Amino acid sequence: MVRFHDLNPAVIAIWFFAVTGTAMFCSYPVICFLTLLGGVLLFAIRNGKKHLKTHLFFLILYVILTLANPLISHNGKTVLFVMNDNPVTLEALLYGLNSATMLTGVLYLFRSFTQIMTSEKLLYITSVLSPKISMVLSMAIRYVPLFSRQGQKVSDTQKAMGLYTDDNIVDDITGRMRIFSSVSTWALENGIVTADSMAARGYGTGRRTALKRFPFGRTDVVFLALTIAFTGTVALAAAHGSYIFDFYPSVSGIHPDLVGKAGLAAFFLLVIMPVIKETEAIIRWRYLESKI
Amino acid sequence: MEIFRVEDLNFTYPDCSKNAVSDVNFSINKGEFIVLCGSTGSGKSTLLRLLKPELSPNGKGSGNIIFHDTPLSECSGRQSASSIGFVMQNPEQQIVTDKVWHELAFGLENLGVPVAEISRKVAETASFFGIGKWYGQNTADLSGGQKQLLNLASVLVMSPEIIILDEPTAQLDPIAASEFINALKRLNEELSLTVIIAEHRLEDVVPICDRIMVMNGGKLIFNGEPRKIFTEIKGDSPVLRSLPAAARLYGMTGGIDDCPLTVREGRKYIENTFKNDITALSVTSSDQVKKETALEFKNVRFRYSRDGEDILRDLSFSVSTGEVFCILGGNGCGKTTSLKLASDLATPYSGVIKVFGKKLKEYKNRSLYKECLSLLPQDVQTVFLCDSVREELDKCRADISSLPFDISDLLDMHPYDLSGGEQQATALARILASKPKLLLMDEPTKGLDADWKAKMKDILEGLKEQNVTVVIVTHDIEFAAECADRCAMFFDGKIVSEGTPEEFFSANSFYTTAVSRMTRDMYENIVTVPQAVKICSLNGRKDGEHDSH
Repeated sequence: MVRFHDLNPAVIAIWFFAVTGTAMFCSYPVICFLTLLGGVLLFAIRNGKKHLKTHLFFLILYVILTLANPLISHNGKTVLFVMNDNPVTLEALLYGLNSATMLTGVLYLFRSFTQIMTSEKLLYITSVLSPKISMVLSMAIRYVPLFSRQGQKVSDTQKAMGLYTDDNIVDDITGRMRIFSSVSTWALENGIVTADSMAARGYGTGRRTALKRFPFGRTDVVFLALTIAFTGTVALAAAHGSYIFDFYPSVSGIHPDLVGKAGLAAFFLLVIMPVIKETEAIIRWRYLESKI
Repeated sequence: MEIFRVEDLNFTYPDCSKNAVSDVNFSINKGEFIVLCGSTGSGKSTLLRLLKPELSPNGKGSGNIIFHDTPLSECSGRQSASSIGFVMQNPEQQIVTDKVWHELAFGLENLGVPVAEISRKVAETASFFGIGKWYGQNTADLSGGQKQLLNLASVLVMSPEIIILDEPTAQLDPIAASEFINALKRLNEELSLTVIIAEHRLEDVVPICDRIMVMNGGKLIFNGEPRKIFTEIKGDSPVLRSLPAAARLYGMTGGIDDCPLTVREGRKYIENTFKNDITALSVTSSDQVKKETALEFKNVRFRYSRDGEDILRDLSFSVSTGEVFCILGGNGCGKTTSLKLASDLATPYSGVIKVFGKKLKEYKNRSLYKECLSLLPQDVQTVFLCDSVREELDKCRADISSLPFDISDLLDMHPYDLSGGEQQATALARILASKPKLLLMDEPTKGLDADWKAKMKDILEGLKEQNVTVVIVTHDIEFAAECADRCAMFFDGKIVSEGTPEEFFSANSFYTTAVSRMTRDMYENIVTVPQAVKICSLNGRKDGEHDSH
């Protein structure tokens, strides 16, 4: 019972880039709508009733993005009303709606992406590309919390020693700069120990291998193949010219041909795949639990 | 089977006239557990690093180091990386990667071992050490003890033949330290891994080791069974001061047979050797003059976050001026947090903290830190902001002649290059420059050798003469017993018991000094080695060799 986030990180990353890439390149209304639909569903099914604030934030963003365009752009044939001597047109409003849909959809997807892609998974992807870069990144990631923790410690110590003599800003800023330089020295000095520890364990004696914690299983193969097939179909349809669409001067090209329709169906399936995967897992669990 | 043979080894650092290691000869056999001891600067680290080619210091050397019948210098990088393991002192800095599993795999990855084999070895090692539970965690989130165990495990995963440890427990609290030593013991007994370990705290390692090697001034002055140590080293050598309490007592009372090492043996030694006519030392009770209160906590409650648990629950205590007050207790019980609150680095959500009768809030404009209160943190490196000790002291206009200790020969060094004890002393000098009347110290004996601990005790005496109130948070029971006026036990966010060291430690049955555990049925209120020596000599030997009363 593999859930979406249990798939191989490379497969997950390819899926995300396929969907967001298609949405951003085509910006065809139906595709944008499907992206938003998929994005919201994936986020909702993964987080349940939590993160209501995120939904609220995206809703507000959506409204603002939609309304911003007709206030700035005055192209289009159908004038709805005139505001401050400027016409507000239906076409501009629809254009705003479309780009808001696309952007919000992509942002939803990225939100899920950051939830799923932990630093470890990102490192896995880089290690596929280059074990050395991945190694350096891993060390760098380790240093971030160390650095800030040490900074806090030095700051506390120095405060209790009266580094900041008075409650004034200049003093605070110079104090912070000294703390920063002290933590840098600390990092360099203690970096020698890390270097020793690496040498002691044979770093640089020959070719490295990289232990990978993420297997590439049958589900991964299937998921990847479907992702490629669906994306390919959409790409073909786009290349075929099915998604040429204009808002200005008036909305045109809303009726796609057969290839276009096939592409849209494929994109729908592509977007919905993770949601299906998650739902399947939920249903199976229910079933298994009912047997206990 | 012989693993290492060291012949006539000499080593000199560049620009040094004296040998760091001179004329050292010894050999190490498979399955041996060897403890290397000696005071700071005796050449222990240099010797150990010479046994590991990757870490060998630069300098001029002569003599032979033979590893499995071939000179060490002819070993390939891969062979020495995998068959000679090395663990250093600082748990944090030895860790290379961000995840526990990656850290375990790191060494094998470097050697280009196939992935399937790495997985197997990592899994094996993780199970042996019980790392399974935190296998997927970030290394930054581990405790100090876990980090050091991880360092040991990630060396062991490469299946070394010998493991060299350079003061691995110096930065750990006593409980984590015992766990670490126990892991070593298991490795030695169950896998017959050869171990050579340099240590200051000999209490735990000496009873389990086969051989003890003592260095002094670069020379190997003793190499043999721990029980025979007094046959070779006489007098008040600093090495003897770091031995287990039973052995120290034996040495100071002039024992004859095999030297006792554990509490059980020490107790037997006292029972068999000394009479118990006098059961207690006469206590010179100081007249209880009601003194001014220096620090007072009243019903203090504190938590780090709204949803978190209370770290301090209804904590109340008070310390009078001129007193040395030691707060003891396990890890994470809130000791350090209470010092943070006392120095106004964090604020309690209820309760009152008063310093010299004034609430913390009333100290406006950071006047609290001027000639009033100072905090010596656990990590003394955080004290230093400059490139030399001299700059450091000039900046705060410290007058080193008025200090109760001498650091004048360290002035031109970089603070990071000093030894643990020297760093502690320098940090203390820096902190005393603000002439605090109340000094808070967090683990002042962490990582110090016996020599520096004794010095720290003198420093505290000196401060007491200047009427400075000292509050110490520590794990070091023996240190607290010797230098405190009052001790308190911290547990579950509050103080559960307090009293003079004699009352306090005699009343405790587990959380007490080794001497107290050794002497409890024979004598009353004996908690330190000097006290035990005194009462033993008052009572005299059973065989009546020197009857002193």
